[in-house]
Amino acid sequence: MSTLDLTGVLCPLNWVRARLALEAMDAGEELRLRLDPGEPIESVPRSAREDGHDVDVHGDWVRIVKR
Amino acid sequence: MTLTDAELERYSRQLVLPEWSGAAQERLRDASAIVVGAGALGSPVATYLAAAGVGRLGIVDEDAVELSNLHRQPLHFTPDIGVNKAASAAAKLAFLNPEVQVEPYPARLDERNAEAIVMGADVVVDCSDSFETRYVVNDAACAERIDLVEAGVLGFSGLVLAIRPGESACYRCSFPSPPLAGAVPSCREAGVLGAMAGIVGAIQALEAIKLLAGVGAPLLDRILQLDGHDMGQTIVVTSRRDGCEACARVPVAAEAYH
Repeated sequence: MSTLDLTGVLCPLNWVRARLALEAMDAGEELRLRLDPGEPIESVPRSAREDGHDVDVHGDWVRIVKR
Repeated sequence: MTLTDAELERYSRQLVLPEWSGAAQERLRDASAIVVGAGALGSPVATYLAAAGVGRLGIVDEDAVELSNLHRQPLHFTPDIGVNKAASAAAKLAFLNPEVQVEPYPARLDERNAEAIVMGADVVVDCSDSFETRYVVNDAACAERIDLVEAGVLGFSGLVLAIRPGESACYRCSFPSPPLAGAVPSCREAGVLGAMAGIVGAIQALEAIKLLAGVGAPLLDRILQLDGHDMGQTIVVTSRRDGCEACARVPVAAEAYH
């Protein structure tokens, strides 16, 4: 499991960083992101779902299981 | 990932594309492109290739900027009149993206130097303005087995064809001989609108990026014809021609090395 603290990182750069981290992982591996409220926590999970990953949101943390 | 923070930010809007990836961005960064001509097509082509992060760009043009070029060649500005176009383009591209290495070639590409200029490149983008040069560029790219994006623009009409020598039709397969002298007016005689050249050049740049990054479906064996009057688009399917002087022997020659 990897963790990325993306607080203070604006859209879309937060999703860029998450995406590159996912790219380096194997399918089934888990990535945890910490995101700012507002646009980041609303937008990044949606982008991850659109890319086909399994996504859970818990407060300001997002858990992504790579497709 | 070996992309720097600055690169992530610079390319963030393409890195978020579903079709794109860090690996695609690195392929661009590690790639080398030759742009033949820094004029109406070469301006948008070189701009978009540099902006997208193609690592090394060679710009070939022996001409100097003229006042009458400026309406269609947006890499050159009024104070550049008299300056070599390759040098003028390289100066702007260095401001646009200092991460990219730009090499100006203030020379006319011809039979004697063509293969030496394109050698080692991953893609050649032909932005020249004469049929003679187009055949020379095509033959050199085929001989060196380098991907090529051909294009032409005249008046309100434009044409684009991507070429993977030995696999898809080359320019000479599709157009075995140049038009008869006088049948097609030169740019100088016929005129061209800058915006039309910009559209065609932008398509050329997109095709080169697709070939380099390995994304999308390039215009291989398909000639795109555009009509700027009504924005009509036609795809003409083409194919390799037996006995083509430029590319017929390419696969045989390549196999001989193995």
